[in-house]
Order: sequence, then C-alpha cells, then structure tokens
Amino acid sequence: MTLAHHDYRLPRLLHPAAWWAWAIGLAMAANRTTNPLLLTLIVVVAAYVVAARRELGAASPFGAFLRLGLLAITLRVVFQVLLGGGTPGRTVLFTLPEIPLPSGSSGVRLGGPVTLEGVLAATYEGARLAAVLACIGAANTLASPRRLLRYVPATLYEVGTALVVALTYAPQLVDDARRVRVARRLRGHGGRGIRELARLAVPVLDSALERSLNLAASMESRGYGRSVHRDARSRRQATALTLAGLSGVIAGVYGLLDGSPAPLLGLPLLIVGSVAATASLAVGARRDPRSRYRPDPWATPEWLVLGCGVAAGVLMLVAAQRGVPGMVVQTSPAEWPILPWLPALGVLVALVPAWLSPLPPLRAIGPFDGLQDELQDVGATS
Amino acid sequence: MTTPPVPNRPVLAVRWRAAATLAATSLVGLVAFLWPFLAQPGSGLSHNADAPWLFVLIIALLAALVVAELSDGGLDAKTVAVLGVLAAAGGALRVLGAGTAGLEPMFFLLVVAGRVLGRGVGFVLGALAVLVGAFLTGGVGPWAPFQMIAAGWVGFGAGCLPRASGRTERAMLAGYGLVAGLVFGLLMNLWFWPFLASGAPAGMGFVPGDPVAANLSRYGTFYLATSLGWDLPRGVLTAVLVMVAGRPVLASLRRGTRRAAFGASGTFVEGHGTGRAVDRLER
Repeated sequence: MTLAHHDYRLPRLLHPAAWWAWAIGLAMAANRTTNPLLLTLIVVVAAYVVAARRELGAASPFGAFLRLGLLAITLRVVFQVLLGGGTPGRTVLFTLPEIPLPSGSSGVRLGGPVTLEGVLAATYEGARLAAVLACIGAANTLASPRRLLRYVPATLYEVGTALVVALTYAPQLVDDARRVRVARRLRGHGGRGIRELARLAVPVLDSALERSLNLAASMESRGYGRSVHRDARSRRQATALTLAGLSGVIAGVYGLLDGSPAPLLGLPLLIVGSVAATASLAVGARRDPRSRYRPDPWATPEWLVLGCGVAAGVLMLVAAQRGVPGMVVQTSPAEWPILPWLPALGVLVALVPAWLSPLPPLRAIGPFDGLQDELQDVGATS
Repeated sequence: MTTPPVPNRPVLAVRWRAAATLAATSLVGLVAFLWPFLAQPGSGLSHNADAPWLFVLIIALLAALVVAELSDGGLDAKTVAVLGVLAAAGGALRVLGAGTAGLEPMFFLLVVAGRVLGRGVGFVLGALAVLVGAFLTGGVGPWAPFQMIAAGWVGFGAGCLPRASGRTERAMLAGYGLVAGLVFGLLMNLWFWPFLASGAPAGMGFVPGDPVAANLSRYGTFYLATSLGWDLPRGVLTAVLVMVAGRPVLASLRRGTRRAAFGASGTFVEGHGTGRAVDRLER
C-alpha cells in the first residue's frame, strides 16, 4: 500500500468518526453559551463547513435539522407567550387576555402579560438547543451514519450485519407493499383504513420472511455461518470488564444524584465505568480475524479535523469556567449581547477544516456535467 | 415427511451476563429518564445544563453493550436475516408514520414480534427498528439512544407476557400495546423536559432542587397539556391494529419462525450409507 493517502490534497472521503468528533466538539461549545451572537457564529461555521465539504449527490439532512432547531425556538417562544414562564420580567411588551383557570391548577396560567425578559430567555434557550442540533445535523450530512456502521466493534458484528440487511431491505418492503396494494386494487378491493392495512400486512410480511430465509441460506453458503470461537481467557476478561464497567456507571450515577459531596463517587467513577465498558467491547473484538473491505485511513487530516472540533469545545469550556463576560447574556434586566472575542476565535478554529480537509471525490471532479465529460473522455480513449 | 417437533426454545436465549447487563442498563436508563425527580438538592446534576447530554452518551454506550451481550455468539445467519428484515419493516413503518400525530404503526410490529420471537429478540428488534428509522430519515439525533432503550423495553415486555392463545392473547396484546404506547410517550418526554428548564410554561417546568412531589405534579401538567394528544392515538392505534390484524400476522410470524427452525441442530442418522450428516430440519 502506498502512502498516497497521507497527501491531504488528494480527494477522498474523510474517516466518518473524524467528522462526528468535530461536530461533538462544536456541539459542546454551543452547549456552553446562551449568547445569540456566539450561537449564530457556531451555526454559520457548521453550515460553511457543510457547504464546503459535503459530498455531492449525498443526502443532506442538515436543512431538516435546522428546521427542527427553528421549531424548538418557536415552540419555546409560543409557550412563553401563551402560558408565561419562570423568568420574572418588568418590561411588558403586550398583554393577552387572561383566561381564568380553576384554582388548584398549580400555578398554570393562560394568557396574561408578555414580558420582554421572558421572550428573550425563551429565545436564547431555544437557540442553544437549535445550535446543538445544527452541529449534529452537520455531522449527519458530512459523514452519513451508515458509513459509521462499518466501524462498529466486532462484538457488535452480527447486529451490525442485521442493521445493514435492514437498510437494504427497507426500500424493497415499501415496494412490496405498493405492489400488493396495486394488485388488490385491480381485483376491486380498493379502500383505505386500518382493515386494508391489516390485509396488506400479511402478504408483505410473508414475502419478507421468505426472503430472509433465502438470504440466510445464501449467507451461510458464503461462509457467514462460520462461528468465531473466543477463547476462555478473553471471554473472562470481557465479562469482568463488563461487570466492572456497569457497576462503575451505576455507582457514578448514584454519586451524581446524591447530594453529599463524596470525592470518590460521581463523575470520576462514571468515567472509569464507561471506559471499562468500552474496553469490554474492544477486548471481545481483539481476536476477531475478520478483515474490512477498503477501510478509510486515519491520517493527518483526520487528526486535524478532530483537533479543530475538540479545540473549539475546550476553549468554550474554559471560557465558561473562567466566567468570561458575554458567555451568558443577562435577560433580566435585558441587555444587549456583546461578542466576546476570545471565545469567538475559539469557535472559528472549527472553520479550519473547510479548507484543510481533503475534498470529497465527486466534489473534486466538479459539477455533474464535468463528471459526464470525464466519463466520455474515458470511453473515447479506451 | 412429517413436520419435526420444533424445540420450544426462545430464538435468542437471555443468558445471565446478558440479563445482568440488561438489568443494569434498564436501571441506568430509568435514572436517565427520571433524574429530574431523583437528583438531590445540591448534587452534581441538579444545576447542570450538561446532565441530559451526559445521559445521552451513557445510554448510547450501554445500549451498545446490551445489544452486544444479547447477541454474543447467539446470532446465526437465520436470526440475523430475520432480525434484519423485521427491523426493516419496523423502520419503514416508522418512516411512514412519522409526523402524523403520534400514529406510529411500528409499535404493532414490536409487540407482535416480541411476543412470537421472545424477549431477547424483542429488545434487539426494538432498538434496531428505531435505528433503522433514524438512518432512513437521515437523522441520528440525541434522542436516538433513549428511543432505542424505550422501544427495546416495549419489545422485551411483549416477550415477557404470560402464556395465552386465541382471543385472550389478542386482548392481552392489545391492552399491552395501549399501555406501552402511553408509557413510551411518558418516558420519552422526560428526556427533553429538563432542557426546557426556565423556558417551560409557568407551572409546567422542571425546577432543579424542588421537592419531588412538586416536580412530579408540574410534569403531570406538562404531560397532559402537550404530550397526551400524541401518546393516546399511538396506544389506541397499536391496540386496534392488534385486534384487527393480530391473528393473521401472529400466524404468519409463527409460520415463518417454524420454517426457519431456530435452535434446531443437525443430527446424524444411522444406516444412510457412509453415515453422512443429514440435517433433518433443513426442509
């Protein structure tokens, strides 16, 4: 194998885990602030990187995630306006007619005065959630979660295979349902409703099960049925790690919930438990002799993308811990948000992959007609 | 040839390690849903915007662990294929039902398949169907781990129901579907309820450090006001589907699993020439 993939100028798809780590770092950054300027900056950074490094022709759920974020903001503001909220405020924007509720409805009110402070707090909180959702949408767009499926540890190999089978068969099932429906229509059994759905279910399910048995036979004939024997030692190790990890997680969660400040319990124990649980997944996979088909390399660009995302997250974390002014915007009394320049620079670090990560292959070729020209050239020369 | 007796074994036996993992995960999962009520005042979680995100990561890890333990060495090609195809059906149903006022026909499949294939497959199928739905719509969000665990519980519970047949069985499954649809919504709201924090409507929000009873009553109000309209149709749809389509679908699934002959092993038959292995149950 050549070292060609270490040249970051060569177009290729980045390792999906790198994009997901980048996005989680950026989401961590977004979760640290309620400053609308910083949050907007984070969404813009995510959108720019998506626009620059999205593979052409791939599905783009980024827009859907942005709409979901907008919905989160809208819902909060509508709730705040209609039902009031926990934020006390003095600046009354307007007053809705209040509908009296029977007493004993525990502080719920309908209508009444709408304050600037309440609406601002609802918007900021909603914007924070929307920014986190935008980061996750960016990850979904830049590296489809289906590509992540290839990297599940071997302990999850069978389940991963079932998932791939499911993703392959789902469109066929929809096709089947359509065919059965057309056939029923032709026989004059038109109609809608639950009874029709029930009649549809049986032939579709029957043919699906039939197909699954055929698939199983063909998988077995291709050697899938070969059982991988794990030796007793690695099995014991995995068991010990699993049990230790689970106890650690439970004790850690208990420590977090409990009010008494015990230094050993809580977050450290939780982290140790999670590491042990992850290790048990890895230990079981270690002796797995299966090979991967064309694995994505993990090289400098992957480290760079991961580093940029994590740096943005850590910088915002430090800024929030230090109490840098502008990370949290005062809502009562309402004040104009300012852009704190140091955290903003931290967020901008996450923009670097838009230039320094390798181009996806189809995007490198150019727009679609360019691809066709190229194919024609290949056809003409050969 | 007469049909050989099918050993009455679950498709996916839940061994002690898997059971322990599942129990621990369910415990942490319950805490992850219910922490707003459990956190003591002054604890590390009660005043922390990160707590929900922390639980997203933990639950994702534990869901992977449970599925790994449940499937450890127990999944042959037939189980993988049947799981895959049923998860495909669940995912497709989820995509079809998404967005229409909680009418999620996926739960019907989970209840029926969990009943026929047993609790182990029920759990894995629930988790996988949610994941397939998320992949098909192209959005794996922070809600996915919680939905996986909760849908897994629905399938697991269906596999734990007592023995019954005929009309009694369908009535039992329909009742279970109704309850499962409601409880699923009750739990799933909880994962985002703390996010609303001070932004929630007056008298419906999570107040960190408040007594449990006060938070519970506020959550009750929130549930009645926002979520019941989604959860009730889901539960009712599941129940109606079980009553209307339950019999043929249960029969179809049982026929399929009998043909697949899970858990059957080949036997050596004396007197067949050189004593070649004949897998009696192949056809």
